[in-house]
Amino acid sequence: MPLANLPASPSQLARYPVEARDAYERFRTTGDVNALSLVILAAVRDFMPKRSLGVGMELRSDMKLMEDLGYDSLAVAETVFFFEDLFKVRIQNTELMTVRTIGELEQFVIKKLAENANKPAV
Amino acid sequence: MSSFSGGRRVLITGLGFITPIGNDRATVSANLRAGKHGLAPVQFLGNPQVPVRVAGTVKDFSVESTSPREWSWPSCYDLPRETLRGMAPHGVYAFCAIQQALADAGLKPDDVANDDQTGLFCASAGSAMLMYNNLALMHSVRGERGNPMGVVSSIAGTLNFNLAAHFKITGAVCGFVSACASASHAIGYACDEIRLGRLKRVLVVGAEELNAETLLPFAAMRALSPQSDPKLASRPFDAGRDGFVGGGGSVVLVLEEASFAAERGASVYAEVAGWGQAADGYSVAMSHPAGAGLQRAIGRALADAGVEPNKIDYVNAHGTSTPVGDRAEAIALKTVFTAAGARPVVSSTKGLTGHPLSLAGAMEAGFCALAMREGFTPGNPHLVNVDEACADLLLPRESLATGPSTVLNNSSGFGGSNVCHVLKRWAI
Repeated sequence: MPLANLPASPSQLARYPVEARDAYERFRTTGDVNALSLVILAAVRDFMPKRSLGVGMELRSDMKLMEDLGYDSLAVAETVFFFEDLFKVRIQNTELMTVRTIGELEQFVIKKLAENANKPAV
Repeated sequence: MSSFSGGRRVLITGLGFITPIGNDRATVSANLRAGKHGLAPVQFLGNPQVPVRVAGTVKDFSVESTSPREWSWPSCYDLPRETLRGMAPHGVYAFCAIQQALADAGLKPDDVANDDQTGLFCASAGSAMLMYNNLALMHSVRGERGNPMGVVSSIAGTLNFNLAAHFKITGAVCGFVSACASASHAIGYACDEIRLGRLKRVLVVGAEELNAETLLPFAAMRALSPQSDPKLASRPFDAGRDGFVGGGGSVVLVLEEASFAAERGASVYAEVAGWGQAADGYSVAMSHPAGAGLQRAIGRALADAGVEPNKIDYVNAHGTSTPVGDRAEAIALKTVFTAAGARPVVSSTKGLTGHPLSLAGAMEAGFCALAMREGFTPGNPHLVNVDEACADLLLPRESLATGPSTVLNNSSGFGGSNVCHVLKRWAI
């Protein structure tokens, strides 16, 4: 099901790899949540505070944001804000406590989008 | 030297320049000597009707976007994402100027990191551009979300927050907000902290960004020159001057206690021999017409340094090229110096750089220190017809091939804050 409240070619993704932008478009036009994985991986890489860690590193869904990727609480907050802004969802602080790995982040974003599917955009 | 100093003296041992007239010491020095300005055509908000046509632009940086991801800076500076994410555009300038100043002082980042004797004093007005962007988002979503870096990247302490965290400063960290006197306040209080024995070293940082949000509010005050020819736009002390020209950048001074600097064999630019401040108590924006506060600030700086007026051989004037401000400063200078039978060389380097607001005091102290060590005195290259009110001042057009031995550096800010430093050539 297409997500009518999401914009085409959002500015937040302008600098992202083409496969991440294509994946976003696929999700936006078809509602295919499987496409989100590429968007989330691109964002995780983009918000890694210590860029040197990300060079050439293959990201896996079991990787922990803080322990494995050098995330701190500010980077987590930035990532959350990015998804809030991109997908027009609201994420509470308490919800974040459950997200520790890339895979958990992916599942969390999918869950929030499902919750948000029938709500008006903010 | 003030009695509280316990004999401690303060030296400038490192400089870093990101300025409209150059992003390294050699280029800055060459342009000061040649009288070559760094003003360039600008157009803000895509609107040619905006009455601001030139500015002291910073070259080789791109920080126009509200997203740090889109900024660029010279590749010789290593600015990691974890630092960049909380920064304002002028923070990028400051970061590069600090790296440059530390290298110039013969220091490595590890020498100042986690050192309880090293402090960081910053002058910044914050980032109006990022503040506007953050608040516009807040209103658009009715407060339901916002950029987590919005506060630390935009409020007036943004320089101290970010630079202290990156460089791991543990001695003392603070910020100064007195508009165009901010950086001069930072130098003055840094000097006192060292003289009081509380710190051995202070990194003094002044920085300012140049964009519509920072500069155009001054056009609303009718404080900016509408000229498109740089030589006509910024011409301090000229009878035809019609406002200041904005500028951006960052300058960093490494100040160190003299014996501490000597122990590590530091190279010295000059001594900060004393400073003084006094306020006008007159207007929110305009100088006192006779420069009353500035006169007192000069007197206090000279007294603190133990220097008679006739020992000053160069004054780096605040001289922003506004009709009211330059006249008031000229009267203050004549009152202090002419009455004492002294006639120092006076110039305003803002003719070359424009006026970088919070950065001004640090930038001009850096220029003075450079001139003292390298042996030249900046001139007033855009001066054609000297204003009658400034006629008694010694205002050379061209730079002089000799350096001053004792310098007065003036700064004045909104609300009538006046801050002056006396720098002396250092001879062991």
